[in-house]
Amino acid sequence: MMQWLAVFRRENLENWRNFKWIWVPIVFILLGVMDPISMYYLPKILEATGGLPEAASLNLPQYRPEDIIMASLSQFSQLGVLIIVLMTMGLIARERRSGVAELVLVKPVKYRTYITAKWSATSLLVLVSLTCGLLMSWYYTNILFGVLSFQQFLQVWGFYSFWLLFVVSISMFMNTLVKNSGAVAFLTFMTIILSSIVTKIFSKYLVWSPNRLSEYIMDTINTGTVPGELLGTAGMSSVLILLLITGSVFMLRTKEMA
Amino acid sequence: MGVIRWQLILPILIIELILIGLALFDWFRTKETNGHRWMWLFIILIINPFGPILYFLIGRKH
Repeated sequence: MMQWLAVFRRENLENWRNFKWIWVPIVFILLGVMDPISMYYLPKILEATGGLPEAASLNLPQYRPEDIIMASLSQFSQLGVLIIVLMTMGLIARERRSGVAELVLVKPVKYRTYITAKWSATSLLVLVSLTCGLLMSWYYTNILFGVLSFQQFLQVWGFYSFWLLFVVSISMFMNTLVKNSGAVAFLTFMTIILSSIVTKIFSKYLVWSPNRLSEYIMDTINTGTVPGELLGTAGMSSVLILLLITGSVFMLRTKEMA
Repeated sequence: MGVIRWQLILPILIIELILIGLALFDWFRTKETNGHRWMWLFIILIINPFGPILYFLIGRKH
């Protein structure tokens, strides 16, 4: 336990030193705020820049607060995931290549400790950033578009966390698979894209695929009830995350022993 | 366009300034970057708001 805390603290310190604790939350805040503000100002900008004949009436859809927070979620799913993957691509791979990992693992630090401490430190950073971003998105949505209850916010936040943790876990696993950080990012993206394609094709059967989290979250905040599929998907995501972490420990052990 | 509500935009401007300031601070401190050092200064200053992010992601030497 003491050892685990030591590795965890070292990771956190590292994340402070390279400013990740400042810029990652800031990026998520910007991503979360982008959609509420641009959708609020869009009609006004169109009006001001003109270009439309007098008779043309502008029929912009009336956005509900639920639509806006979902737009922010899709920002997190695109640019947010991109940034998480690029940020974690060297997490273990770089240390393995430069030999720091061996230095750490020569001391009696267990592979399990090393992996879980790194995963926890990264997940903490990602979750805090997501919280900052979603809070700001929620705040601006409430000011500009109407009320979205705290309960709805909690549902979006809680269930979407599973998706980002899943991404972190995939990236972590790829880190133990190859040493080149570019290859890590590539493999992680390919996994996410492939799983989303497979989920789309076999959507009838893959009811609990983590790729469908956003879809179910939208249903939840629109209808006000949590569908059973969402709970199943969250459970399935947790299982997959656990498998990926166990797989990482296993891969690292076999790779380093060889 | 007299309808811009500054209390909405101002927090975002401040956050962006913090991001740029942080990237510049780090750029001044480091001697080496991936790629040309002065190129990164222009990227940080000109491409907004993604320049500083790009710098932190791929510009910094580890």
